[in-house]
Amino acid sequence: MITTVVGSYPKIPDLPAPGRWRSAKEKRERGEISPEEFLQVEREVTLEVIQEQVEAGIELITDGQIRWEDPQTYFAQGLTGFTLDGLQRWFDTNMYYRIPVAEGEVLWTDPITVEDYRFAKAHSPRPVKPVITGPYTLARLSQNRYYATFEDFVLSLALALNQELRALDAENPPLIQVDEPGILRHKADFPLFREAMITLTEGVRAPLALYTYFGDVVDLYPEILDLPFDVIGLDFVAGPRNWEALEKAPFEKWLGFGILDARNTRLESLEELVRALDRVSRYVPLDRIYLNPSAGLEFLPRNVVRAKLHRLVEAKRAVLGVGV
Amino acid sequence: MIPSYLPTTTVGSFPKPPDLLAARQKYRRGQLDREALRALERQATQEWIRRQEELGLDLLVDGEQYRADLVTFFAEELDGFRMAGLVRAFGNRYYRKPVVIAPVGRRHPLLVEWFRFAQSLTSKPVKAVLTGPYTLAEWSFNEYYPARRDLISDLARVLREEAQDLVRAGARYLQIDEPAIHSRPEEDFELARAALAHITEDLGVYTIVHICYGDVARIYPDMLRLAVDQIALALANTRFTLLEVFRTHPFTRDVGLGVIDVTRHRVETVEEVVSGIQRALEVFPPHRVHLSPDCGLRTCTMEEAVAKLEAMVEAARLVRAMVP
Repeated sequence: MITTVVGSYPKIPDLPAPGRWRSAKEKRERGEISPEEFLQVEREVTLEVIQEQVEAGIELITDGQIRWEDPQTYFAQGLTGFTLDGLQRWFDTNMYYRIPVAEGEVLWTDPITVEDYRFAKAHSPRPVKPVITGPYTLARLSQNRYYATFEDFVLSLALALNQELRALDAENPPLIQVDEPGILRHKADFPLFREAMITLTEGVRAPLALYTYFGDVVDLYPEILDLPFDVIGLDFVAGPRNWEALEKAPFEKWLGFGILDARNTRLESLEELVRALDRVSRYVPLDRIYLNPSAGLEFLPRNVVRAKLHRLVEAKRAVLGVGV
Repeated sequence: MIPSYLPTTTVGSFPKPPDLLAARQKYRRGQLDREALRALERQATQEWIRRQEELGLDLLVDGEQYRADLVTFFAEELDGFRMAGLVRAFGNRYYRKPVVIAPVGRRHPLLVEWFRFAQSLTSKPVKAVLTGPYTLAEWSFNEYYPARRDLISDLARVLREEAQDLVRAGARYLQIDEPAIHSRPEEDFELARAALAHITEDLGVYTIVHICYGDVARIYPDMLRLAVDQIALALANTRFTLLEVFRTHPFTRDVGLGVIDVTRHRVETVEEVVSGIQRALEVFPPHRVHLSPDCGLRTCTMEEAVAKLEAMVEAARLVRAMVP
């Protein structure tokens, strides 16, 4: 069993500590500091959140996505063809993103996340996994004014992001994660999704993880296991019906077991996490489990995140300690 | 009374003047007493009432100079909440997210005094604005109620008392803000609908529900079953593309048409507001249309807010004049 996180981490420290990122962001928006100076602050904050994950005992960490304004625009701005439009709410959260609008051909020209990955890897004592937003979710939360059909749009994005995955692959990461919460809201699109995932992952040698959250895959199960990924991440907090999915057919991959609530401050008891691990072990052997929160952690204040990550690690130790 | 054709209003919040912002910060640090803060809030309210009259708006609001945002104020005034740390909404905007830690209850009326004060300053009607039970629950962490349903119904009971107090104090227009009502409609819409209906039942005044952003298409035409006279929606942020959704079924309530994008600093031209209104008049029954910005203007600067409202009022005047 490997403890990990799904991706994002709060960018600012607990009150009353001053939010360095916040004041730098404000200065950047007013043009008072250069992009390089802002990047420097982003990197310092990245080091801080790497440190916090490591201190909590997380074994496979991320860079905390400190440089992502949100999961949509970081990629839309890194590709050609997009402009940004009005503000929209991100799924059922109270976080917002600017709607990317495809006005031209969507092309990959330069790596988007590779520098971030290199930086995190160089400064982390633990393995780091890069994360990208998948082409389906990116397309779903964008407006398409260029491609004739939504299918064309999704598959063009898959082709573009395949380049990003190949660029990441060249860095030899232990795992590359693709986030696709969008498919859970549009399950009828699964055939298109499958095609996109095949295009996306073609030629990539690193182990791959597909993470879903904010819902369940019960209607996509077991087909979702046929997708070209080694790990499938499921959210058992917002998607309790994922338990039903596990009943339907054997889970033959690694499971990203999202059991710690990333969207509520209530701290899970050790007992409930141990019980959940015990329950999931009836479907997936514990040595094929990534134990992680239900989603990215930027929905919580940082002190809560630290307490939760400690609890997650405690749960792993408790379960393995009692010789399961 | 307000004019019957294309009356103008706003969603509720206005920006706070610099002296009030500074005073709020001092108050939080314990360097200013409540009475001194209250005096500045009253002064700012007075200013906004005067400005709304000058602008020629038909239905006024108190401007919410005493609220941090639409959730925090209620969480601070009601029993059962504590405040957690800061959580990011978008860009550099953070808000303090409340946590429910005990049964929610109301010690005293929350808004009656503000309503009386605002109404005493003008002969135009002032609209009272409450945040709805579903949104208060959805945008708080919950560490107390095992079932969210119970939290929402307790909040609905408390807000019904508040609504009744406001009506007794003379409010003729009551708006309930439910921007999160469509977060998970498949699971929750009935719950949210029932909670809203509990508040508005037999109040005997004109009621409005404000819904913004998110995937409004998912609750159309279901939203027409909400027990209110008017549904106020954001149209400008998606450049009126949302109008297509309302062509699918006749709109059987009054509509509060959001014609000003509050998330952009750029001030709309009168021509573009006119064109937005005209497009909307092809979709909604004209006599049902009320005009307002997409959402509260809290995050604009004072100058932007005033300029945007000038454009809206002028556009309303022009479109009214076009009717034979």
